[in-house]
Amino acid sequence: MIESELLTMAYPPLLVFAAAILVLLLPRAVGFTFGALSLAAVLAISLVVPEGSYLTGTFLGHFQVVPFFVDPFSRFVGIALGLLGVCTVIYAYSSGASRTFTAIALSYVASSIGAAFAGDWLVLVFMWELMAITSTVVVWYYGGDAVRAGYRYALLHGTGGVLVMFAVAAHYVATGTFVYDLSAGLADGLPQLLAMLGMGVNVAFIGLHYWLPDTYPRPSFVASAFLAAYTTKTSAFILYRAFPDDGHLFLAYMGGLMSIYGATFALLQHDMRALLSYHIQAQLGYIVAGIGIGTSIATAGAIGHLFNNILFKSLLFMAVGVVIYRTGENDLYELGGLWREMPLTAIAFGLGAFSITAIPGFNGYVSKGMLFDAADPHYFGAPEYEALYWLLYIGAIGTLLSFIKLGYYVFFHGESDIEVPDAKPGQVIAMFGLGGACLLFGVWWQGFADLMPVIEESTHTFMANGAEKHLHPYSPSHRRTAATLTAISLVAFVIVRKPLSKLEFTDPGSVIYPVGYYLGRWSMLATTNLYAAVDRFAVAFVKRWYWVGNNPVLAVDAAVRRLPMVDVAERQPADGGRPSTIHLRAGIGTTVLLLTVALTIVIWLLV
Amino acid sequence: MSSVDLLLPLLVAVPMLLSTVPIALGLRFDRTGWSVAALTTTALVAATTTLANVVYTDGVVTHKLGGWSPAYGIELVLDEFSALIAVLVAVTAAGVLAYTRVGGPRGNTFYSGYLLLTGGLLGISVTGDVFNLFVFLEIVGLATYAMIASGDGPESAVAALKYLILGTVGASMYLIGVGLIFMATGTLNMGVLAEVLPAAVERDPTLVRAGFAFVFVGFSMKVAQWPLHTWQPDAYQHAPDGVTPVIAALVSTAYAYAFGRLLYSVFGPEFLTSTPYLTELVVTVGCVSVVAGSALAVIQTDVKRMFAFSSVSQFGLIVAAYGLVTESAFIGATIHLVGHAVIKAGLFAAAGLIAINYDARTVDEYAGLADEHPIVAGTMALLLVSLIGIPPSAGFVGKWYIALGAVEAQLWPVAVVILFSTLLTLAYSARLLEKMYFTPATPLEAPHVSESVATDGGENEDDAETAAGADAANDGDAGARGGTDTAALEAITANRDRNTVSYGMLALVVATALLAISLGFAGGFLADLLDPSFITEVFN
Repeated sequence: MIESELLTMAYPPLLVFAAAILVLLLPRAVGFTFGALSLAAVLAISLVVPEGSYLTGTFLGHFQVVPFFVDPFSRFVGIALGLLGVCTVIYAYSSGASRTFTAIALSYVASSIGAAFAGDWLVLVFMWELMAITSTVVVWYYGGDAVRAGYRYALLHGTGGVLVMFAVAAHYVATGTFVYDLSAGLADGLPQLLAMLGMGVNVAFIGLHYWLPDTYPRPSFVASAFLAAYTTKTSAFILYRAFPDDGHLFLAYMGGLMSIYGATFALLQHDMRALLSYHIQAQLGYIVAGIGIGTSIATAGAIGHLFNNILFKSLLFMAVGVVIYRTGENDLYELGGLWREMPLTAIAFGLGAFSITAIPGFNGYVSKGMLFDAADPHYFGAPEYEALYWLLYIGAIGTLLSFIKLGYYVFFHGESDIEVPDAKPGQVIAMFGLGGACLLFGVWWQGFADLMPVIEESTHTFMANGAEKHLHPYSPSHRRTAATLTAISLVAFVIVRKPLSKLEFTDPGSVIYPVGYYLGRWSMLATTNLYAAVDRFAVAFVKRWYWVGNNPVLAVDAAVRRLPMVDVAERQPADGGRPSTIHLRAGIGTTVLLLTVALTIVIWLLV
Repeated sequence: MSSVDLLLPLLVAVPMLLSTVPIALGLRFDRTGWSVAALTTTALVAATTTLANVVYTDGVVTHKLGGWSPAYGIELVLDEFSALIAVLVAVTAAGVLAYTRVGGPRGNTFYSGYLLLTGGLLGISVTGDVFNLFVFLEIVGLATYAMIASGDGPESAVAALKYLILGTVGASMYLIGVGLIFMATGTLNMGVLAEVLPAAVERDPTLVRAGFAFVFVGFSMKVAQWPLHTWQPDAYQHAPDGVTPVIAALVSTAYAYAFGRLLYSVFGPEFLTSTPYLTELVVTVGCVSVVAGSALAVIQTDVKRMFAFSSVSQFGLIVAAYGLVTESAFIGATIHLVGHAVIKAGLFAAAGLIAINYDARTVDEYAGLADEHPIVAGTMALLLVSLIGIPPSAGFVGKWYIALGAVEAQLWPVAVVILFSTLLTLAYSARLLEKMYFTPATPLEAPHVSESVATDGGENEDDAETAAGADAANDGDAGARGGTDTAALEAITANRDRNTVSYGMLALVVATALLAISLGFAGGFLADLLDPSFITEVFN
């Protein structure tokens, strides 16, 4: 009891942040050990800490804040983030990442974990902004091309953060509290609209997504491995916090379209990391679709897929990172036959690719199957999700195709013309740690389901259509679907392989940057000119009245001159240009007269 | 404790009796006036603060002159309202002496008038009798006429004459009003009047209302409300520089105090609000004065005249606040009375200091003052800022309470006028600030300076060559030259001495500026002095 109480005081982001400082101060090996240990501690805390709200207090006197909030959802996400964190730090260590970089990356991880464990919108906004800043620094640290991309990234995420902040403010106005409403999320209307836009940036809604393929391929491959999981997945989780109730049709279909859009553009990429970046969008599409549907199986599937995605997407970035590390090549058409040169990397990549493409036996299969079931009107889906089901279906084919393409061109496709060593031991440990987890949760899906929120522990039941249902990931129909998808993709790949390598498409989403640039430029010019105009007017106004005050006679003269039918004699200054004044001096007699008049008026009024 | 009320008659009697001393001593000694005045005013400061202390701890102090019953005799009263004014009068009277010691006017007769004025002002503050108030109004008026007339040149005499006639007419109006009220009630004591007036109003409202009309018009003249203000700019402008601070700070303030006293302690809020058109009339007169006074101030070229019109505007604010008849407005009026007195004393003292020492009297001549005399210019800027009412300053607190009162009374036009008055105050203050800080000094001043340097035998670098040539020519009689040099130097030093700002003058100006700022911080404290006891008594 005492131990668990002690645990509630161990605020995970603070631990990671402390580790970030230690990494900066201590020798490299020791510092990295502390970094990994802090994330292992996050994992452990997530597993054992009892549910509840901790470290609660008030901000500025009367805003209630809950910085450390544990429920099945945040616990689940915390486990994934912690597990991934440990592996990424090991990977970073063996890939030769500098201490400074790792310290920045760890503070980024800390802010992301802080956002995941936030129990109120105020803390969330703080962590959200912190995450945007630290991730920008992670990108910037690489220098060169990444600086401009990082700047664009920062502008877009800054805008998104402001929108989220407005959403939270509007939510506070509507409800009077910042603390999460676990069943209703953000208040209807304006807060939801603003949050949809602001969070839409982070979870890469179509149209707001271009920062993903723009930013993630540019920094070092270690940075990519960090970036791949934290921002987007934490944001997707917060999207769930904002929209926990069911029936957000827009979100559901946005998710479905994202899965196709991301997969299609992934298929067209040459750059390996750009391909993976588009897959972040595609996989986020599944998660967003699940959040949008919002039934218990959909929510469980979405959060489960989020969990899996954290693992396999980072694994894929790591594997591709090793290839880049060893060959120095980003373009997949320049590579080939590497499975002989780096078999361990090839296997690790295979684990990730099988997971993301939902091959039975891997974790992606379990969670993606749940999402299919949630959308399929023949299972638990509402009729309006019929189309969504097919969107997700096509998206899955696109995913398969592009990973067949990536794997084929990098690891097969002829003989390798270069000789390179395989991954370093630390990299292997990190990759196989994540890959093992992918395989483990795919095979031992019961354990995965036990951890999962919504799904009942040990019985693996959930409520759907008013009845209690069991989870059956390996039912014949599920396996049939998987086999069909894979078969279609394999056949399709053989057909489209040649034309695909000649296709070159620019993402229409890329217009967002030029549009934003010109919009910003013109609005800035407009504002500046407006300000200048107002300033000119004000100065002229003041100057004129100042002159009138100093030269009342001239002013009256000038005013009278403008009146029609009044002839004013030309003024002949005879005072050497002194300011003209009006000589208004009432004599004694006049004043006494005025007094009499005033007295008369007062007496007349009062008596 | 029981004999503390004996101080009350002494407050009035001592300065008046001592005002004869400088003249009497003047038969044998030349310059005794200042010392006598300084001693007396210092004693008065001590006496008023002692009395104020008693008032704010134990309550109202009263004294029946000659032991007569208040119904027939004269009663002197010092309560929370009048104690503030009495302290203000004594402190300002003592403070301005620091200016007049060097700045003049000098002479024993001046200090006789000064003491008479102080006695009259204290009399206005402490009297509890409406006829006695008239007497003190006349004493103050006469002393003021005399002091204004003591200025140089014919304008002073004309201004004094104008003030004499108009002031007396105003006081006469007041006296007629008092007569009418006496007819209606049969008493002259303020406390008794307040008790019997409601019955008298019921019996014969016309008589009391006519009385009020005369009192109001009389005080409008005395407090210089537009358009009956005409005596004031002339009087302020042409009075000697040392006199203007006293008149501007105290005379109008004491009149305004007396008006407030009559409104709230004699007529009472009940009468004010129940008489048709009365409050509207008072508020209108005040508001019109605010706008007209500020507008006239903006177009002035003479600095002292500008400040005089500013007083018209500021007292308009106070009269308007009286007319609002809310607690906040009354507190605001009181604070503004005190704050404005301090600020105006400082401003006129500063204007006098600048006029005497730097020979700058018009707005244009203030150009470049900040570079040459940063302390004086800075102090003046501080005082102007206080006058505008930028927080934290005395001007702000008063206007704030008055605006609050206007809002409480739901008289939005008044609230707008009060805010507008701030803008107008800014208009004429900004003119002066701009001249002092942003307009370079006119080169016209340069010849005067280089001329005095030239007589010095060529210290100036421009003259070095000529001086060298002269040296060669006058090699023979270097001794004689040395002698002339020393004489010239002495002459210049003497000249500088005359022009040097005395510490007393500077101290007064700086002290008022600091006081104006600190009163801003002490605004709540001033309000607390009035709030529980006096306000509750008056308004309930």
